[in-house]
Amino acid sequence: MNLQTHEHAGVLTVSVSGPIDHVTSEEFASALDESLKNHPGQPPKVVLDFSDVTYISSAGLRILMLVSRRLKGQAGALVVARLNALIQEVFSISRFNLIVPTYPTIEAARTALGG
Amino acid sequence: MSNKALLRRILLAGRGRLVPLLLLLLAALALHYLPHTPLISLQQSQFDRYQRLLPRARDQEPVIVVGIDSQSLLDHGPWPWPRSLLAQLIDRIQAGQPLALGLDLIFAEPDQYSRQTLGQRLPSLSPQVLQHLPDNDQQLAKRLARSPTTLAVVGLNNKLPGSRPPAHPLPMFQQDVRSEQALPRFATALVSRPELQHAASGEGFINGTQEENNQANTERGVLRRVPTLAYINKQPFLSLPLDMVRQALGNGEVVAEHDDAGMNAIWIGDYRLPTQANGELLLHYGQANSHYYLSASDVLAGRHPPETFTSRFVLIGFNSTGLQDRVITPLGDSLPGIDIHAQVIESLLMGAALKRPHWMPHFELLTLLLAGLLLISAVPVLPPKRAVFAFAGVSSLLIGGGYLAFLSGHWLYDGPSQSLLLSPLFISLLGNTLIAADTRRREAERQLQHSREEAARMAGELDAARRIQMGLLPAPRELFAQENRFAMAALLEPARAVGGDYFDCFMLDSQRLCFAIGDVSGKGLPASLFMSISKTLTSTLIPRHTDLGMAVRDIEVELSRQNSEYLFVTAFIAILDVDRGELEFVCAGHDAPLILRQGRIKKIDTAAISGPPLCALGDYPYTAGSAQLTAGDLLCLYTDGVTEASNGDSMFGNEGLADALHHQLGVSNIEQATDALRATVRRFEAGLPPADDLTLMLLRWDGPPPPAQSI
Repeated sequence: MNLQTHEHAGVLTVSVSGPIDHVTSEEFASALDESLKNHPGQPPKVVLDFSDVTYISSAGLRILMLVSRRLKGQAGALVVARLNALIQEVFSISRFNLIVPTYPTIEAARTALGG
Repeated sequence: MSNKALLRRILLAGRGRLVPLLLLLLAALALHYLPHTPLISLQQSQFDRYQRLLPRARDQEPVIVVGIDSQSLLDHGPWPWPRSLLAQLIDRIQAGQPLALGLDLIFAEPDQYSRQTLGQRLPSLSPQVLQHLPDNDQQLAKRLARSPTTLAVVGLNNKLPGSRPPAHPLPMFQQDVRSEQALPRFATALVSRPELQHAASGEGFINGTQEENNQANTERGVLRRVPTLAYINKQPFLSLPLDMVRQALGNGEVVAEHDDAGMNAIWIGDYRLPTQANGELLLHYGQANSHYYLSASDVLAGRHPPETFTSRFVLIGFNSTGLQDRVITPLGDSLPGIDIHAQVIESLLMGAALKRPHWMPHFELLTLLLAGLLLISAVPVLPPKRAVFAFAGVSSLLIGGGYLAFLSGHWLYDGPSQSLLLSPLFISLLGNTLIAADTRRREAERQLQHSREEAARMAGELDAARRIQMGLLPAPRELFAQENRFAMAALLEPARAVGGDYFDCFMLDSQRLCFAIGDVSGKGLPASLFMSISKTLTSTLIPRHTDLGMAVRDIEVELSRQNSEYLFVTAFIAILDVDRGELEFVCAGHDAPLILRQGRIKKIDTAAISGPPLCALGDYPYTAGSAQLTAGDLLCLYTDGVTEASNGDSMFGNEGLADALHHQLGVSNIEQATDALRATVRRFEAGLPPADDLTLMLLRWDGPPPPAQSI
């Protein structure tokens, strides 16, 4: 999985695409780790652009939870932006938006992160 | 170490290249000493094959052989003929002015009909009669002196009665000392009578190759080489045919061309003939031909016009069974010995000879070593089939190169011997390759066996784990067999041997039914372990609390304490007052259950109180929500193994489940209804393997119990 990254005003935006299921979640995890390693913000603030994500399973949610915990440990934050209706529903039902906040646009997400 | 292991170790020494290297060394030695091995006959027959493929073209016939054949003997009496008859024969030939005349005959004794011989044999003859008899030897000598003529001599190593040195050595012939030593040497010779000797202008030897060098020639009686130059009594002489050419050129100059290794050609006038270091000519034979053979009888009778001999070399010799020597040529022809002289003259005029210079064996040694080293470096890294192709390719190059060398320049290059000598080396290399392949195969088989055993062991353990996990789940039918206030059925199908889903149901007291459904993130073994803990904690902690929200908070705290892998659990946990239909529930990130009420599908409204999955935050303040059921309500709890079941294009979804649930309206047997839902999901998946664990739980509340009958 190749992730496009873009840094703006101390906020790292990572574009994710495809389904994040049991098969691809490990790959997603290591690709995301790689992106974070290359852009060590202080504190690390990350927006995941989910506009091209078609599906996310509980394994995918677990990756988000782990990354979110780690960033919070460094006084940073992880948020998700531009979720499609299906993914938004998954976040709502599972109340995962309590753990990883969701925003309709990148700008909204950046603003929320104080970027 | 066993013998077999020792052998294997030797074969594979030096990465399997030690033995092949030794074999290459042996092959090189064998090639170097090839003339002393049986391989020499293979080499000779290959060189013969080249000649048969491309014999020397004989488009010109510069030589005429006048043969003393059977017809001649019949017409003119047995040999020896009176020399007057031979003088007559030469007379006829000289009438046509040949270039040179060569006699493949030696007249060592006086003529049978000389005065001296007859006088001794017939003492009664008067001296007057004898005086009037013609002197035959004189007649012959007269003829011999008339044109350029060469007489035959035979070089001898030991003196015989009557032997003496020939009278016409090569004049002014300079020879390099080193190459001179390689030439044939004779102490003396068998020659003709002095008056004939002096009458002729030259003498040429007719010896074959000397015996000690003759190993190859005597083999199968094939004549492949003839000497060109020899020393008799320390004087240089040409062979009979070459001396004829010298005579034709008017006592032409003879020069031996040589290099460091010895002679490599002989020049007679402007004609050059390539030779071996010892002055021998490797004859390139032309096809046998009888056009140029004339019977001496016909010549004597004047049946051929004199022009027949004009500007030709004429050889006189035997061509009759019983008198002639015959030789076998590499072309397979059996020829009279005199034909060799004719072929030598033709060769000189054409400059044609087979070329096998002194450096050729060294070159063959070099190509053998190169080919061997190529095989040693290439074969071990090639698969066996390609290795065979590689050897076939190298052999073809060596053998084909030999043919090419002959066809392009009459070079004698021995490919087949090299190919043969390389084959033990190749077999050894191929053997190593096969041993290596065999070792790899055995290792692969061993690993396959190991992984099969491992898989079988794992399967056995997973099977046990599955039985234990399934054993943790309650059986609602048996549990609530006596119940008439509600009916419940549940099933769980892990996507793998074990899974992360669970469900539970038990009575807290006679009136309160607790039931739960959960889904641990991920699947397989890690999820299943966490599932066991969650399920156990749920059933243990809920009875201890009066408030369901507080109970779930407690569960999360306990669960988080044992969560090193940061797994989380979505769960829906509820308590139903089965007398009143009052439902109290907590939702931790799980899909809200569906309700089929009076033919319509609804969702339990969890939005207000739903929290994140258990262990996602670790300290979320869960609170309970509530709902009032109506008699006949059918609750459906499920995990995402149902809604996210995929047929490859789309997911089963909430709509699919709602639709399937609708079809169960009016089905009274709740177990059948559960099975039917499961079947619908599996049909939708159309044979694809399930992506996730699938859990379904149906609960029908049948309404408050009828008031107890007072007796």
